Amino acid sequence: MNEMSKAAPIAALEPAGPEISPQLRAITIVVVVGLVSIVIALTCGGYWLSNFTQAYCMALAVLGCALLYGQLGLVSLCQWALVGAGGWVALRVYHYIHPPFFVTILSGGVGASVIGMIWGLPALRMRGLYLALVTLMLAAAFQSLVTVISFPVGGPGFLGQVGASGNDRINMARPIFAASDTGYFLYVAVVTVLCIFLVEAHRRSKPGRAWALIRKNEQMAAAAGVRIVFYKAWAFALSGFLAGVAGALLAGLFGQLDASAFPTTSSIVIFIGTLLGGYDVWLGAFLGGVLTRFIPALLIDLNVNTNVGFMIFGAALLFALRDPLGLGGQLTILAERLYGKFQAQRA
Amino acid sequence: MSLLPFIASGIGLGAVYALASVGLVILYRASGTLNFAFGAFGGVSAFLAWQLAQDDIPAPIGWIVGIAVSTALAYGYGRLFAPRLAHRDRVVRAIATLGLALFLFGGMALYWGIGVARRLVLPTDLSFVVLFGVRLSYTRLIALGLSLGMAGGIGLLLSRTRLGLGMRALASDRHISAAIGVRVVQIDSLAWLINGLFAGIAGILLANINRLDAGTLTFLVIPAIAAAIMARLSSLPGAFVGGMVAGMIEALLIASSPVIANLRSAGPYIAALLFLMIVGVGQGVGARE
Amino acid sequence: MIKIDALTVRFGGIKPLDALEAQFTAPICGLIGPNGAGKTTLLNVLSGFVTPLEGTILLDEASLLKLSPRRRVNLGLRRTFQQELVVDELTAVENIQAIADHVSADYASARREVASALDFVGLSSRRNVLGRHLNLYDRRMVEIAKTLIGRPKVILMDEPGAGLNEAETEQLRRLLMEIPSTFDTQLVLIDHDADLIASVCVETLVLDFGKRLAMGPTRAVLDDPVVRHAYLGRE
Repeated sequence: MNEMSKAAPIAALEPAGPEISPQLRAITIVVVVGLVSIVIALTCGGYWLSNFTQAYCMALAVLGCALLYGQLGLVSLCQWALVGAGGWVALRVYHYIHPPFFVTILSGGVGASVIGMIWGLPALRMRGLYLALVTLMLAAAFQSLVTVISFPVGGPGFLGQVGASGNDRINMARPIFAASDTGYFLYVAVVTVLCIFLVEAHRRSKPGRAWALIRKNEQMAAAAGVRIVFYKAWAFALSGFLAGVAGALLAGLFGQLDASAFPTTSSIVIFIGTLLGGYDVWLGAFLGGVLTRFIPALLIDLNVNTNVGFMIFGAALLFALRDPLGLGGQLTILAERLYGKFQAQRA
Repeated sequence: MSLLPFIASGIGLGAVYALASVGLVILYRASGTLNFAFGAFGGVSAFLAWQLAQDDIPAPIGWIVGIAVSTALAYGYGRLFAPRLAHRDRVVRAIATLGLALFLFGGMALYWGIGVARRLVLPTDLSFVVLFGVRLSYTRLIALGLSLGMAGGIGLLLSRTRLGLGMRALASDRHISAAIGVRVVQIDSLAWLINGLFAGIAGILLANINRLDAGTLTFLVIPAIAAAIMARLSSLPGAFVGGMVAGMIEALLIASSPVIANLRSAGPYIAALLFLMIVGVGQGVGARE
Repeated sequence: MIKIDALTVRFGGIKPLDALEAQFTAPICGLIGPNGAGKTTLLNVLSGFVTPLEGTILLDEASLLKLSPRRRVNLGLRRTFQQELVVDELTAVENIQAIADHVSADYASARREVASALDFVGLSSRRNVLGRHLNLYDRRMVEIAKTLIGRPKVILMDEPGAGLNEAETEQLRRLLMEIPSTFDTQLVLIDHDADLIASVCVETLVLDFGKRLAMGPTRAVLDDPVVRHAYLGRE
């Protein structure tokens, strides 16, 4: 029925790449993250193992941030604050009822998701710059708040604090089968893969399509029947969930969390990681998150002042803005080209 | 407890926030860029002024150098880097300045350290007047005066001069302005220059009123933005009033219970947030279609 | 069927539509006029993006005024636009599924409708190609396929033929002619290609300065000296 379009084709915007099936994508995710994780687990000792575990948590946070920015063009500068919120909820739940570890993680995820929605919903009606500003102010407000109330450590009352001596602090326990540093790192790696699957599942189905329509043109999407507020809220909820899971995993890593680990600048750095890694592909979130932890860890290891890290990130942001693909995006395109050549040779 | 001492400190802080808020709004109106690096520019200015004083150079020279460097930094960024992003949307341009802020913050923290208790002492600290039972140091009065004067001066510039007309045209529609011959690059650069000047002065004042700390000064920009938001990023008098209000709120929160006092820095943000939620965003930057 | 009565729109001092009265009854109707005549404004009023100052619009006897664009979609109104609305990051089929998600009655009918729409416009073999890799003709086909989902009653198309070459326009022509019978829907078409309008549209409304200049069987309208003067008088 459509032979004519082959007769006189007008050039497409870009030449088509190979088709990547969902199965292939899933396998790639498992293989890449799996291989990287196994290499890390086998070669790294305490310092780097702990840092890579933290890096994976940051990758989860970046995954959420990239979801909002890549799918909906929304800048969220409070993602690390949501990680803290999730960690707080996880610790609170743990000290109350000592549930199985994955329940603690889920509670952290849900808690951060709800909190993210509460402060996200008023902001949903704002676009662009205002949203970025509001989230930045919220990150700053969180830093103030958590400095005052601190994180639960098993003490009495809602805030769970103990006396100034700190001797009675109780650490959150890791799952029994993943109590060692290596074991916990691999546990975190598995959770990371599952979360990437969760995001990809969203992107390939109804919410992902709705988000794409909204980003293209919000008015037209509304006219087509998309419930804008509902789908934006869903994106916020998912993004918050990922942050909360990251926070819970961090709490499990250290046993406790400290308010000083949640300054406003960290939320900004998460956004930078989102841009550096590339917000359109899962690999971008993974690399971006890892980078944001790897660079400071490397600086400490080399005895360089960590403020150099800020200078690096600041400069990186200035230059990352010029390239929307990011590192992950570039690598993915390269991989797809190689795969396309491989397929062509086989055919 | 008497609130008067807190009101006095609120006036000083408010004046600085007002100055910052006006500076931000001017640049935003002229170039559509919200400059997150405003506080960082101010920090550079304040640290240089302090450092030169430490090296036994007469204080006024230190201030001039500090303000000049801050102005030059802003002008340089506006002239050399900002034009490359001119075709991107506002959010991207603002995020770029965030990168600049982080870069400068890192640099200041690297060279001068963080968490060291320092204050930039100004000779006007020692003298004061008593107004309505409130002790106001000369510094605070000067801050207020400078703030009012500069905001007013810029307001006059915008409304009475050709340059101001150009800036307003640019704010209204960049492309059309360029098409009819308004010198976009020149005016943009000027707006950045003014921004740097305001930042340099605001930085020195805040380093005196609050403290000389890389973090405090860099993140001065957040309450200033909160104030600018309350002025819908467009009204100069609104930005001024917003700044004063933000400063007052913060100072008065110190006066209330100790718990709330610790949360005082969140005051301006919560105010801006509530403002946005209740009053709405109106036309312009954040409005829905 | 669409009935328009005394429709007036005002933007500031301009009246893009001025006391317009018309009825679209034929299966395929044309809407033409010189640039600035108010054609796209009329579509925008019908879609619900522009509120008229006064007047009535009825879709099969139901008033559209005060209904949101989304409600109008539920009543069976569909629309394509002059500007590009194909999402680059989604495949052809995903672009269409995105619409089906919100207008189809349920999952089963969504799958059916998407498949039949894809097949009708001839994109079945290219269903998994990303939007950014589709050429102009295919993108137009995606836009048309999107309107065919969910039992449309009236489809408004704004210059579907713009930018297409002769062969593609011919293919488009054949497609458009089949839409009313295949999908039991009415088509209202804006285009500047007089041949396309003449060969496809049974009756045509001509607008000029927001007013109705002529309406009737397409050939008669196109031959009308008043209409010719309105077009040629401009150049």
